[in-house]
Amino acid sequence: MTETIELALKTLEAQLNQPLETALEACARCGICAEACHYYRAEPKVEHIPAYRAEQLRNVYRYEHDFISRLFPVWTRAKKLDETTLANLTEIAFSQCTLCRRCTVNCPLGVDTPLMMRAIRAMATAAGTAPEILIMLADAAIEKGKDPSFYKEMFLEQIADMEKQLRDITGDENATIPVEKQGAKILYVPLAGAHTILPPAVVFNAAQEDWTLSIFEASNYGVFLADVNRAKQVAKRIVDEANRLGVEEIVISECGHAYACYRWDVPNWFAGQFDFKVRSLIEVLAGYISDGKIKVDPTAIPGSVTYHDSCNLARNGGLLEEPRYVLKSIVRDFREMTPNKAEALCCGGGGGIVALAEYAERRIAAGKPKADQIKSTGARTVVAACENCRLQIGDLNEHYNLNIHVTALTDLVVQAMRLPKPLPGMEAEHLFEGEQVEVPR
Amino acid sequence: MTETPKLTLDFKGLLCPMPVVKIAQAIKQVQVGELIEAIATDPGVMADIPAWARSTGHELVTLEKQDKIFKFVVKRLK
Repeated sequence: MTETIELALKTLEAQLNQPLETALEACARCGICAEACHYYRAEPKVEHIPAYRAEQLRNVYRYEHDFISRLFPVWTRAKKLDETTLANLTEIAFSQCTLCRRCTVNCPLGVDTPLMMRAIRAMATAAGTAPEILIMLADAAIEKGKDPSFYKEMFLEQIADMEKQLRDITGDENATIPVEKQGAKILYVPLAGAHTILPPAVVFNAAQEDWTLSIFEASNYGVFLADVNRAKQVAKRIVDEANRLGVEEIVISECGHAYACYRWDVPNWFAGQFDFKVRSLIEVLAGYISDGKIKVDPTAIPGSVTYHDSCNLARNGGLLEEPRYVLKSIVRDFREMTPNKAEALCCGGGGGIVALAEYAERRIAAGKPKADQIKSTGARTVVAACENCRLQIGDLNEHYNLNIHVTALTDLVVQAMRLPKPLPGMEAEHLFEGEQVEVPR
Repeated sequence: MTETPKLTLDFKGLLCPMPVVKIAQAIKQVQVGELIEAIATDPGVMADIPAWARSTGHELVTLEKQDKIFKFVVKRLK
């Protein structure tokens, strides 16, 4: 047995617990999961059936754990793990499954196929066969956390520039973007770009919230690798910042995997060091509108708008009504996709695949059902509260000529606040371009 | 800087993590010791590109902000 195979099998063994063993044992091979999967819907072939994908790991598991299978592998289709099988498993887990869990909620037995895909991802990461781009992104993020002093000054300069923009947009000379404010109520954790800082800053200032940024961001590529060691290193810096600043809660930017990570995984990983409430920015927006902390014009968005449920936020996170409450508070013509909410189709961009150029063609093909859904609503603006989804839907827009405008939820809320100036790229003429609506002034 | 970059890339409009993804792909297209010059509009590159260079063992030669454009040069070291 080579060292690579040994590492992969050792990782599989280390992960075996009751949920994973149940998933590995319980499949009835009914095939109901097939239609649940966007890969299968886009291209109906056996390789795209979630149960078939999971079976490739089950074959290896049987060989390792079943006496009869080891003696007579042909009888049970058991398979000894070798380099070719590991390469095939790696390809399946990183390019043919976005971990959206739609198969699981549609499985009569609740078999958690994505849990098995995560197990494979962890095996591949340990064995060195995982996509090098994801490894590189996770390692670069860890490096950033080790010594942030090398970019802190530039980050603060960027925030100072953004503060000027914030004051320009809001017309409020006292509007601020606090960084590392001791004792703030909320630690807001954005992504790396200004587009995830400026719009929430507008909202937090209007709501007169006691908030702060730190210099760290939410995205965590260790999660995509199913590498708990790397993921914990990235997540720890936010936990440490929240403790250091003494905040009451952490609010996560519009990002599916980061929300899932901090909402579900981090409290387990850092039990005892972590007693903060975790909310998504979407919940905060809904709360501000509901409490009247921010004023929005219910007629501000006259164009047709649909909402894409991110798998991590909706199906896996339970944020089903909050984004709809926000949208129905500001949009005149809101259109639902079908199916939606917990049954929503994945856009095809989850699980880190948007960063993997080698699978771009497969990703765009798997996004066809989502593109069709968007098209059938006839809506010209698609709101997605997840960066990966926005990147993917942007690509689907280009590839399938959808002629849509893709935006974050917060950006649309800011637009509806009717401030002196719009956010960059959210000018009314641009947002409603080509629609027969009365553009608000 | 007197050396001429082997590649000049435009990452304008690309958001995190795409500038890092693109530079990681591009570094394989040049020889050890050669330079890549790139521009980006996402401020995230200010932290991401130095971290990428440190974690991958390449050299970040320069990184500067010019108005709303971020310009950087990296050297392949291995």
